[in-house]
Formats: sequence, structure tokens, C-alpha cells
Amino acid sequence: MAPSSKRALPSKEATLFRELLTLYETRQLKKGVKTADQILKKFPEHGGEDPSRSAMARDLPTTHFRNPVYERPVPSAIRQARRRHWLVKKGMRFDLTSHICWHVFGLIQKDEKNYEEALKSYTQALRFDKENINILRDSAQLQTQLRIYDGLVETRHTLLRLRPSLRQHWIALAVAHHLNGNLSSAKKILEHYEYSLKNIPDYDVEHSETLLYHVRILEDLGEYAEGLSLLDINSKSRAIVDRTAIMEFRARLLSKLRDTDASNAWRALIDHNSDCYEYYRGYLASKDVDLDNPSDESRAQALAILQEFASQLPKAATPRRMALSFATGEQFSDLIQQYLRSGLTKGVPSLFADIKGLYTEPQKYKAIQEAAEAILQENTPPEGQCSHGEPTTYLWTLCFLAQHYSYVPRATPSQPLPSPDFERALALLSTAIAHTPTLPELYTLRARVLKRAGDPLGAAAAMNEARLLDGQDRFLNTKCAKYHLRAGMIDEAIQFFGMFTKKDAANPGADLEEMQSTLYLIEAGDAEYRLGKLHLALKRYVAVDKIFHEMEDDQYDFHGYSLRKFNLNIYLNLLAWEDRLRSHPAYVTAALQASRIFVKVHDDPSLITAASSSVRLSDAEKKARKKAKKAASKAHDDKKPATASTADDTVENTPAKDDDPDGVKLLGAADGLDRAAKLLQPLESLAASNIDAWLVIYDVAVRRKKYLQAIKALKHAQSLDSEHAELHTRLVDFKKRASAFPQVPPAPIGPLVTTSLATLLPEEVSLETYNSLYLQRHSGCAPAVLAAARVLHSLGSAIDEVDATLFTTLADDAQLDIVTASKILDFLKAIKSSRVEEYRLTCVSRFPLSTVFMTQSELSQKQKQTAEGTTALVEAEKLEVVP
Amino acid sequence: MNIRLARMDDLPGMQATNLQNLPENYLMKFWIYHAATWPQISFVAEDHKGRIVGYVLAKIDDESADKGEVHGHVNSISVLRSYRRLGLAKKLMLLSQEAMVDVYKASFVSLHVRKSNKAAIGLYRDSLGFEVVSVEQKYYGDGEDALNMRLTMKR
Repeated sequence: MAPSSKRALPSKEATLFRELLTLYETRQLKKGVKTADQILKKFPEHGGEDPSRSAMARDLPTTHFRNPVYERPVPSAIRQARRRHWLVKKGMRFDLTSHICWHVFGLIQKDEKNYEEALKSYTQALRFDKENINILRDSAQLQTQLRIYDGLVETRHTLLRLRPSLRQHWIALAVAHHLNGNLSSAKKILEHYEYSLKNIPDYDVEHSETLLYHVRILEDLGEYAEGLSLLDINSKSRAIVDRTAIMEFRARLLSKLRDTDASNAWRALIDHNSDCYEYYRGYLASKDVDLDNPSDESRAQALAILQEFASQLPKAATPRRMALSFATGEQFSDLIQQYLRSGLTKGVPSLFADIKGLYTEPQKYKAIQEAAEAILQENTPPEGQCSHGEPTTYLWTLCFLAQHYSYVPRATPSQPLPSPDFERALALLSTAIAHTPTLPELYTLRARVLKRAGDPLGAAAAMNEARLLDGQDRFLNTKCAKYHLRAGMIDEAIQFFGMFTKKDAANPGADLEEMQSTLYLIEAGDAEYRLGKLHLALKRYVAVDKIFHEMEDDQYDFHGYSLRKFNLNIYLNLLAWEDRLRSHPAYVTAALQASRIFVKVHDDPSLITAASSSVRLSDAEKKARKKAKKAASKAHDDKKPATASTADDTVENTPAKDDDPDGVKLLGAADGLDRAAKLLQPLESLAASNIDAWLVIYDVAVRRKKYLQAIKALKHAQSLDSEHAELHTRLVDFKKRASAFPQVPPAPIGPLVTTSLATLLPEEVSLETYNSLYLQRHSGCAPAVLAAARVLHSLGSAIDEVDATLFTTLADDAQLDIVTASKILDFLKAIKSSRVEEYRLTCVSRFPLSTVFMTQSELSQKQKQTAEGTTALVEAEKLEVVP
Repeated sequence: MNIRLARMDDLPGMQATNLQNLPENYLMKFWIYHAATWPQISFVAEDHKGRIVGYVLAKIDDESADKGEVHGHVNSISVLRSYRRLGLAKKLMLLSQEAMVDVYKASFVSLHVRKSNKAAIGLYRDSLGFEVVSVEQKYYGDGEDALNMRLTMKR
């Protein structure tokens, strides 16, 4: 058969084939396979069907994948991947020039999230069928996903040329220009589009959104007057139907035009939603109040305006709260008293969280304390009497003051605040608990105070007491589980989480992971990390990365969907958000922690063997425990009904088994540092102001012998905080490594390293001197002293010299916190100092409430007690539930 | 607390709040789908640091069995326990309801609530004027019934 006839199908089969494609698109897969088989029976070597049949076969188990674009993927797809690729390749052998083969191959690659390769296949397909609308449309989606915007403009252009009658194609081209940074072309296309529009139905949300998009483009172009007139015309004619959007655009545009009408526009928004800060800020700015650096005059003006609002809008909290930021002196004292009184009478649990932002000013700190103490006094019942003032006001004032006295001031404010007084806070809470033992908030506060005082075990126990007072509340449950993770009680934590996770999940952690709980994964990872279980920690952190991959994949369908819906502004916001997705604190933490683990393992590979033997051990333990439990439960009761049987779960639906459930393989991965570099890569732009990120980037780069990257990271860190303790150790580390190069790296790297090193730290000074100068500058700062001590040790100083340096952190005038103290203790242990015990005992008396400095046996004892307490309480709870 | 329209970058915070508060949880794509389809009717409350402390996630049904009437539906609403008693849930609901009518001409708003959730039922019925339309047996995963509540909107 000649190649051309090989491709061409008779009309009956050609119709069937078109049907087949529709069936695939609409996911009517069973039908699709049947149709494909029908064609194949007659034309077994037709290039097109084989691959499309294979695409169907792959998707079959995912039937019911109807319109909702948020359906979950089905893991069994993976198992069919091999067969699918085989089928598609077989099809291609028959006909390499078939656009259908390439199209289907691209579809499959796209479904596997392999966007780069998919786009290549689509480009091939287009070579053989240049004007295929489906292929062009899919290519455009891939180009958007891959942010290939110049290519996108071209594709959208072609689509518009082929089908200019489709409204969507005009909009899509405008958006493509916009994404490609060419706003004025986007504007021209929109103008042309609007001009040619006929018969717009009344009250059309799609048209309304398109017009709002047009206004946004004008705003972004700085053409405010044009934007405003477009907005006004179309809101008068009711072509734009979103009233809030109209008001917001109006207020913003008028402000940018410095129009006197701006304040009225903001005022209208405040009436619409009187708890939106942005509206008040807009209003104040329109009255020429400089909000960032207010002069005394603007302060007074702002205050007057806000108080006016407060009296007109009695239900709005925002103007009252904002006024507190502008008021000073006497006036502040008056206002804060009213504010606290109202909050404490209502029993607002978040009152302290709400006002603690004011603690940057010591006078305000003092005024708040005085006001709260006065309210407490008024409401305190006299000895032996119950009625005096409001009992709930009394209670909430005790809570408020407990939070106040346990407040830990931010590092070195210009005028320092008093240090936290944890004993006093706990005493206030004990009074409150004696007064009303059934309010969960009292226990959650107690837990928080204990946590700050360095007693994670006591904190976990208190959080559990709170949880028991309202077992149906998932918030308290989550807090309780989180606090148990912080206390290193992972098994107990999982048990708590399990009270609200799906019962058919493999385990509570798996369910939380599937539901994309970064809170759980980060906290669990940190807990494992603290316990030295690096493999498990790594497993959790990497799962966070996976969630962020999922979120990036999520946008794919919207490249088509949002344009069809004409929801353009929100779609562009979606893309902008996706571009910055990995600036999310959960990702940053996970990427840094995972990278730290890869670095640790690189420096000390014995950690890998330790991990795998610990897994083997705990597996044996688990088996033993399971056996014991089985025996116990058998003895206990047999009457329990069989838990919802999983028998009808077909094999298809069970997720692919994880062949590395404990992360040991991951921990030992040969390319660990490369993986770390990949995790860190997004942080260079998305966490550029985070010094920890640059320090870890350095750690990884220098070990991968990427010296220029390492230098870049050090320079960034230096520009953020040149005296940072962790930077100090890295600078020394880099100089040591550079001087130990067996040979200078070839140009240009070698000379660049040398010159950059000279800018990073002085050449003429020895590292010993450099370090002692650093120590002198920061002798009162414990983290810096620790850094200097680490450097001393790495330069080969005697242990007693290192010890002596570290012991200066115990001086009365040195600021030492629990975290740093425990790091120092760890370091003393690591260098086998003889003074470990001495340091530990001093910390015990310095931080009397803390359990961090207990010996291992004291700690296990206490942990056991907490666990027993927990179990006892949980058991008691079960008894209570049973009628 | 600052109350405003939900934005795309709020979605992780809304998802986290939901996961911390309620047993009915959703994958990120579900949240994106709602924000991208009905961008005007979901709202959030945030604290001074920009952390989400409460949200309402809503949608529009325009081809329902209810005589083809366009109506709004509240998918999920919650406020962190530590931010209660500020009236945030009510403020969020009111803004959402208003936008449903304003943009989509919704004729009523519907929602499901656990039969045992007295506090929420009180808010919907007493403060917002919802009425119980029907009881949906075993609506929730754990077998609890749901009250199907509805508020007719004036235009």
C-alpha cells in the first residue's frame, strides 16, 4: 500500500475515527475502545487507531472522570503505561508521518505530566497537519504550562487566523500577548474584538469579565483615564455586572489619577465591607495620610478619620483596631482600655493575638498591661464571694494577662521589653482553671506557655486536656497531635490525627499526605529529624515537594477552561500565583530540611547504614507489637464487627505500593546532592531574602564543587546579614576548602574563586585572628559564640579553649535562649567535652520549667508518664462515650 | 481581622484552615476550580500577618433540578477556633450572599450542615435567616445526617 492510502480511511471509518476522538476527549472510554476495535478490524495497520486505542485503554479505569476538573488521578494508570507506550510505538512503526500517531503520543505524554516531550510530539504532529485545530489548541495549553510565551502567541495567532469567528480565539490571543509581556498588543486585540462584537445578551457575566480584563490591562499600562472611562461607560450600561469589582477598580484608578473623587469611592467600599483594611488605607491615602511614615500631623488626622468611622460603623472592628496603631500617649491609654474592655467582655479568644503587634513600642506595652490589670482588678471576686463583676470577663482577663506575661519579645528592639515571666503566666492560668475547669482555651494557653518555657511534654499533655473537653473539635485535635509531634511522641500524635482521618486510609499519615496537609508533613518531618530518624524525616519533606508538583500540574486544565469561561483576570492571577508557588513557607522549609539531610548524609555516609539497620530493628519490633496487640484484643473482645471490608476494592483501585516506605533508599540515593540542588533551585528567586536558604544553597553547591554557585550564595547571604553566625562558619569553611584545593581549578573558575574570596573575607588576616575578631564583636550573643567555638574546633584548638568560649554564654549578661543552649549542649557532646554535665546542670537551673536539659533517662521517664496520662485520658474518654 | 475577597494565593491557607477545622476536605484542584469559575463569591478573613483564619468557599448552580433557578451554594465555611466570637463567619456569609445575587442573580442560597452542629445551625437560621428544607440521610462520611438549608434572596 502506498503511504498516502495507508493514512486515508474510507468515509465510514473516517467518521468512526472522528467519533473516536470525541469519545476520548469526553472520556467515554469503554465505547471508545469498541469503536477503535471496529476500525482496526478492517484496517489493522492503520497508524492512527493503535495509539488512540492505547490511550483509551490506559484511561479505562478512570471512567466517571466527567467534567469536574478536580477529580483525583487514578494510580493504576501507571501500571498500564508500559503497554500504552508499546501500542503507540507499534502504531508509529506503521506510519511515522501520521499526525494522529504523534498527537496521541503527545496526549499520553501530557497525561504523564511530561510536558516538554508532549510539546515535541505535538510539534511533530503539526508538521504533518499544520492547521489541525485540536492539535494547535493542545499545543497552546502545553506552551502555557511550560511558559513558552512567544510560541504561545504564534499558536494563538494561527488559531485565530483559522477560526476568527470563535470569540474565544480573540481573547486567547490577547492573553497570550499579555503573558508575553506585550500589553499594548493585548489591548489592540481586545479593542478590535469588542468593536466587532454583535448581539451581546443582557447581563452576560462572560462579557462583563472580559471588559474588566480590558480595564485591568489599561491600568497595568498606566492608562488610568482610559481605564476609568471604559469602566464608567460599561458600568452605566450594565455591561459590567460585578458591582464590587467596579467599585474597587474605580477607587484605585481615581487614586492613581489623584482625583478628588477618590475618597468618595473608597468610602463607598467601606460601606460595602467595613472590615477590609485595604479600603481604609485607600481612603486615608486619598486624604494624603502617609501610612508608612506618618508625621505627628498625619497621625492626628488619621486618628480623627478612623474615630469618625468607628462611630458611624459600630459593627466594624477595623477602624477601632487601626486607630490603636496611630494613637499615642494618653489617647492610646484611653482607646486601648475601651478596646480591651469590649474584647474581654465579649470573651474574644484572639484579643491578645490581635493587639500584640503594638508591642514594638514599650510605652504601649506598658499601657496595655496597666489597662488589663485594672480590668482584672474590677472583676476579681473578693475572697470567699462569687459575685463581683462579670465572671467571664474575669476569666478572659486572666487569659489575656497570661499571654501578656509570657510574651517573648522579638530580638533586640530599640527599647527592650521585659523578659517573659512564665511562672506568673502559669499561675494566672491555674487561677482561671480553678475558676472554670471546662474551658478548652485555658488549657491551650497553658500548653503554649509551657511550650515557650521549654517543656514540650507538659505542653502536649495540656493540649490533650483541652482536646478532651471537646472531642468533636478537629481544631483542638490537630493542635493536640501537633504538640505531641513537637514533644517527640510520634505514635501518640498519629493516633490523635487518626480520630479525624478517613478510616479506609492505609494510616492517618497517608490520608493527611493524600489530602495535601503540609502542616502534618512538616511537623512530622521535623519530629523525625529531631529524633535522628533522617530517612523518615526526608520521606516527609520530599512528600511536601510532591504536593507542590501536584499544585503545579493542577493549573494545566485551566489553560483551556478559563479562556472558555472568559474568567480572565482570575486566570492571570492563577498563573502568577503558580509562578511564585514555591515561595510558600511549607515548601521553603521542606526544601531546606531535605537538603540539610542530604548534606549530612554526604558528609557522614555511616548515617545510611544506621538508618537501614534501625528500620530492620523497628520492623521486628512492630511485628512483635502487632502480635502482642492481637493477643490482647482477642482476650479483650471478639464481638467487634468486622471493619468495613475492603473486599470490593478492586485491585485496580489500590494505590501502587511504595517500594521505599521508610525513605532508606532515598536517604542513600547516590545523587542526593543533585536532588538537593533541584529542590533549592526555586528558592534562589522565590526566597532571595531568606538567609537560611542561601546558607543551605552554599552547603550543597560547595559539596558539588560548584564553586561559583557557592560564592554567589555566600555573597547573597553577606548582603542580607554580614555578621550572621551561620554565615561566619561558612566563610571560614570556604576559605579552608579553597586553600586545600589539590590544584587550582582551571580558568576562569580558579582565578574567580581567588578574587571573590578576597571580597568575602580579608586575605591578610589568618583564620584564627579572623575568628577571634568575630568573637570579640559578638561576645554577648550566644549563637555567635557558638559559631566562633565551632570554628575554633575546626581550626584544631584545644578542647578546653573551645569549652571556655562556650561557657561564656552562661554569664549573667549574655542573652541565652533555650534553643541555642541546647545546640551548645549538643556541640559539647559532639566534641566529647569533659564539661558537658556542668553546662547541662547550669541550664537546668537557668530554665527551671524546661525539660530540654533533662538526662535521657529523666526524659524517658517523663515521656512515659505523659504517654500513660494520655492513654488513661483517652481510655476514660472512651468509657464516657459509651452510654 | 481583615476581610476580603479570596485570591489565588489564599487557596493554600484556605485549604489548611479547612483541614485543621473540618472533617470534609478537598484537594487543591477543587479549590482552584471554584476560585477560577466563580471568582467573585468566595471570601477570607486574615490576621495581621496575612494568615488565613477563616473562609467561605461558594459556587453557583445554574442547571439544577430546581426549576432551572440560578442559585448559590456554600461548599465550605469555617473559622479557626481561636478566632471565634468576632462574627467572622457571619460577615463572610453576608459578603458571599450579596455577591451571588449581585453577579449571578442567584434566587436563593443553599448549604448543608451537620444535624449535630448546633452553633452553625444557630448562625444560619437565627442570624442569617436560613430555613431547613429537607434532611439528607447519612450525607456525611461518618453516617451523620445533613440539614439542607436555604435562604431566599431578595433582589
